[in-house]
Amino acid sequence: MAGTRKIIAGLAVLVASLWLRTDALGQAAGAETCYLDGWRNPLRCYRLPIESEPEAPQLAVMVAPAVNNSGEEPLYLLAGGPGQAASDLAPLLNAFEPVNRERDIVMVDRRGAGRSGAFRCGIEDQRSLDLDAFARKLADCYLDRAEFAESLSSRQTVEDLEMVRSRLGHERIALWGGSWGTRTALLYQQWHPQSVSELVLDAVAPIDTKVFLTARAAEDALQALQRDCANDPACARLGNWRAQLDALLESWDQGGRPVLSDPLTGQPLTEPMARWEFANAIRTVLYDPRAAAQLPFAITEAHSGNLQPLVGLSGLFVKSTESMSMGLTFSVACAEELNRISADEIAADSDGTFLGTAFLDLFQHGCRGWPVKEKPYAAPEPRAQPVLLISGEADPITPPRYADEALGYLADKQHLVVASGGHINSPRGCIPELIARFLAQPAEELDSTCTREISRPPFMVASYGPDIGGTAGNPVKEPGTGGRHDSGEEAGE
Amino acid sequence: MNRLTEILRGPTAALLHKEFLEAWRDRRALWMAVCFSLLFPAMLAGGSIFMVKKQAEEISRLALLGSASAPLLEQRLRGGGLEVDALAEGDPAELLAGDYDIVLWVQEGFAEEYRNFGAPPLYLYIDSSSSSSPRAQRHLQERLGALQQLVVQQRVTARGLAPQLLAPWRLEVRDVSTPSRRGAVLLAMVPGLLILTLFVASLATSVDTSAGERERLSLETLLLQPLPGWQVILAKTLAVASMGWAGALLALVALVSLMPLMPLAELGIQQATTLSGVLTMGLLLLPLALLVAVVQILLALRSGSFKDAQTQLSILQVAPVLLLMMLDMSRVELGGFFWQLVPLVGQQQWLKALLVGESVPAATLLAGSAATLLLVAVAIRLGARALQREALLSAA
Amino acid sequence: MIEVNSISKAFAGRPVLRELDFRVPDGRITALLGANGAGKTSCLRIIGGLLRADSGTVRVGGIDVARDPLAVQRQLGVVGDREGLYERLTVEEYLTLFARMQGLAGAALRESLEYVRRELELEPLWRRRTRGFSQGERMKVSLARALVHRPQHLILDEPTRGLDVLAARLLRRTLLRLRDAGTTILFSSHVMSEVLELSDSVLVMARGCIVGSGTPQALIREAGCSNLEDAFVALAYGDRQAGEVPA
Repeated sequence: MAGTRKIIAGLAVLVASLWLRTDALGQAAGAETCYLDGWRNPLRCYRLPIESEPEAPQLAVMVAPAVNNSGEEPLYLLAGGPGQAASDLAPLLNAFEPVNRERDIVMVDRRGAGRSGAFRCGIEDQRSLDLDAFARKLADCYLDRAEFAESLSSRQTVEDLEMVRSRLGHERIALWGGSWGTRTALLYQQWHPQSVSELVLDAVAPIDTKVFLTARAAEDALQALQRDCANDPACARLGNWRAQLDALLESWDQGGRPVLSDPLTGQPLTEPMARWEFANAIRTVLYDPRAAAQLPFAITEAHSGNLQPLVGLSGLFVKSTESMSMGLTFSVACAEELNRISADEIAADSDGTFLGTAFLDLFQHGCRGWPVKEKPYAAPEPRAQPVLLISGEADPITPPRYADEALGYLADKQHLVVASGGHINSPRGCIPELIARFLAQPAEELDSTCTREISRPPFMVASYGPDIGGTAGNPVKEPGTGGRHDSGEEAGE
Repeated sequence: MNRLTEILRGPTAALLHKEFLEAWRDRRALWMAVCFSLLFPAMLAGGSIFMVKKQAEEISRLALLGSASAPLLEQRLRGGGLEVDALAEGDPAELLAGDYDIVLWVQEGFAEEYRNFGAPPLYLYIDSSSSSSPRAQRHLQERLGALQQLVVQQRVTARGLAPQLLAPWRLEVRDVSTPSRRGAVLLAMVPGLLILTLFVASLATSVDTSAGERERLSLETLLLQPLPGWQVILAKTLAVASMGWAGALLALVALVSLMPLMPLAELGIQQATTLSGVLTMGLLLLPLALLVAVVQILLALRSGSFKDAQTQLSILQVAPVLLLMMLDMSRVELGGFFWQLVPLVGQQQWLKALLVGESVPAATLLAGSAATLLLVAVAIRLGARALQREALLSAA
Repeated sequence: MIEVNSISKAFAGRPVLRELDFRVPDGRITALLGANGAGKTSCLRIIGGLLRADSGTVRVGGIDVARDPLAVQRQLGVVGDREGLYERLTVEEYLTLFARMQGLAGAALRESLEYVRRELELEPLWRRRTRGFSQGERMKVSLARALVHRPQHLILDEPTRGLDVLAARLLRRTLLRLRDAGTTILFSSHVMSEVLELSDSVLVMARGCIVGSGTPQALIREAGCSNLEDAFVALAYGDRQAGEVPA
């Protein structure tokens, strides 16, 4: 009888364990299934209130659950900008699929961005605007929500992330930062080293590096483009487009500034394009090698009076500016970057570059109407976490030298430099695999030879596109004996 | 208490003991059970590993004729599973008969026509009777499509238009499956195979204990012992079911232990089978094992000879699996409560759910298992009656 | 005492036993003599409770087989076909399990096993599986199984068929000893020498009924023949055929 009772008790335990398991599947309270554009699979989404500040926007947290959670640290994606939302990084999940097999990937929209109360100023979608008008609009935006603007900072973002980490029950986390996200990641590592296991930093903005001084970096990127174009026989035929660019910049404000048409609607734009806008457009094109490949041709055309290719190029970036939360951008940039840049430094950086102060002017104007208190960083302290650095050789804002020069305090780092690469290289070629391998075995040195296969896309050399070649090719005979017969048949279809 | 001891030491236990000794000492039956039980998990694991490996490593060989007319084409087609050989000349049919999966012919003057926006043709030679042809075409389309998109984008941009104009909308796919549920596709055949294992593993034993005993003339001696007929059938059922159940458990354990070796994550599938899930699967197979055993014994007792019994049961083991497959394919809605009470169908549904880490309500499990056990009881009663048939005894 | 009271049995409408009626007294060896198809086996199966008679009753030790077959089986030992052993069991396992099925346990079980082991000289076979046993060895094991629960009644179906001299002698000796101890023994046969050697009395069976009974000598006398075989033919097939058989 005692035996029978034991068996019944055993069965009861088994049945009970089935119920318990169902409960555990429910995950932490408040998780909902949701989707983000660019990623087909369902995500677990949370809205986490900030307990100390009930009025603050709830944080939007999105988790791409691991296919098979093996208990590895989750990977948190930190977005750039400042002002970009982590939820906009969803398309990256396609590249991070090998990582996602074993790790959760977590995206937290930082306060003031994306789904966590985006701080927009209504100027994000205006492509042509006078600098002063721009600053005025910005100042109005600031005055509307001065307190909120003041509260936004890297420190706050890191503390919010730290709160999310503990609320989701993650002991330690791996960080992927892109562009400005690398700064956030590096600061997180400084302030909460015990919470961070590994870092993957793509387009690195070191803590001590003044990344808003971009004129020199942009010039280097343009020169890398010049070099690659000169090495390509078809592109080389375009001639000295660099000199034409300089001439265009020089003569921009003389004579009538060109009125361009909208690349989407085809309608003429109300405002003519300003010189600073033009220079910035060139700089922006350099972010993406696909766009940069069209630059030499677009300049050549512009020089001969046809501005259409340039307009088309600017159309490539419409979407990326729209996703920025301008209020957040200025709150962080003014308090943490512009505050520490001196006039001498600006002069030294912009001297002899195509960009000059065109990029900084925008921020300097803006920050005047955005009077947040400066929030300087302490000098970084040594850290031992394994760090994978990724740079594009022709990145116009975070060139490889930043990662090489300003991260001496990191004891364990590897640096992948993508030849002729632009800004953000994580999804390209074999780099997703390398990132997965690094996260799996951070102590081992990566074999980066496969990154050499990543190349610039073919240059646009004429209105027909890239040169497909074959100008002086050998005449080709129709293949095979039955070739003519075959082709005849195909023509008949 | 006394009654339990009595049973454990009494005639019924002796009968049971005899049946188990007989069953488990039958080497041939044991081998058959073990082999089949290990065979299908091994094949499933091996198959999926092979499939993924093949998919990852598969390379298509493209012969590019006339690439001198378009060196960029040659350069941009390389990679992504496409191996490109630029050949000066050759016969497409011969090349396809040889090492190449597809042949792309670039006509003389291609570049000229391209520069003049003439949309020059590219001739793709395929052999649609070859199994590698679709894959090679897919590889080529991927590479060629990317290049085509780049050219189109450059051309559109050059005319001052944003390339978005060419995409009036974006189709965003949202997959509602979960990584564990995605395993259902791969693991769909597992419940059927587990059930098939029950049949196969107990086949030899059930024939041996019924038709075999009769043919060896030992059944009569057994029936002369002072034991009721239902006990004889029950003892045989338990012995046969023990073999079938052990086989199915072995298959289940083998499958679950092979799962980590299977490249499930690469296929986006979560390995979600839990320990309690495996235990539940094991338990829910027991009533089914009993039912399979008793049905096999009944059929074998009815049949004319040992050989006849083997043939009948071989057909019987295929029938339920076919039936389940047909039900599956006919898209009959099997989720209803009454389907859960149907033996085989119920168990198949529960196994399916448990394999992908979902739970089955305990009430459903208990009700369905009770229904199966009820059938077992009815079958044992029928069997007891069958033992009184004259035809069962050897001819005088 | 086995009492068969006018039982009838038909298979698929074909009568096999017709009003069969006889007694098997205690302490005697009774032979059921009949040609193949005479209904011997069916009769024995009805006594053993494997088959039910269509009419009539069978009592073994006073118990009605149709009413309580299990009680009858407990006091009945049957040696059926010798092929029916379990080849995957040892002799010891085989006898132990069947003794337990008869309800023996503990000291009684051990004693019984010891008894049959000694009585039937099973020592050399005791731990061997029965696969490959000779006819004699098989007979010994079957007999041991039939006797292991010390039944009052013993039924044997053609017991000496295929036995060598030594085995046949052991069987004879054992049956005689059992008879002397008061056991009721009934065996079926169609072999005259076997019947002559073993039986105290003979039941001659033909076409499903008893056509003659008594001691072999009495039967020979009754039929007016010189030997049992002639007597049997005369009784079973009538005078018409008796003349055809060489004397």
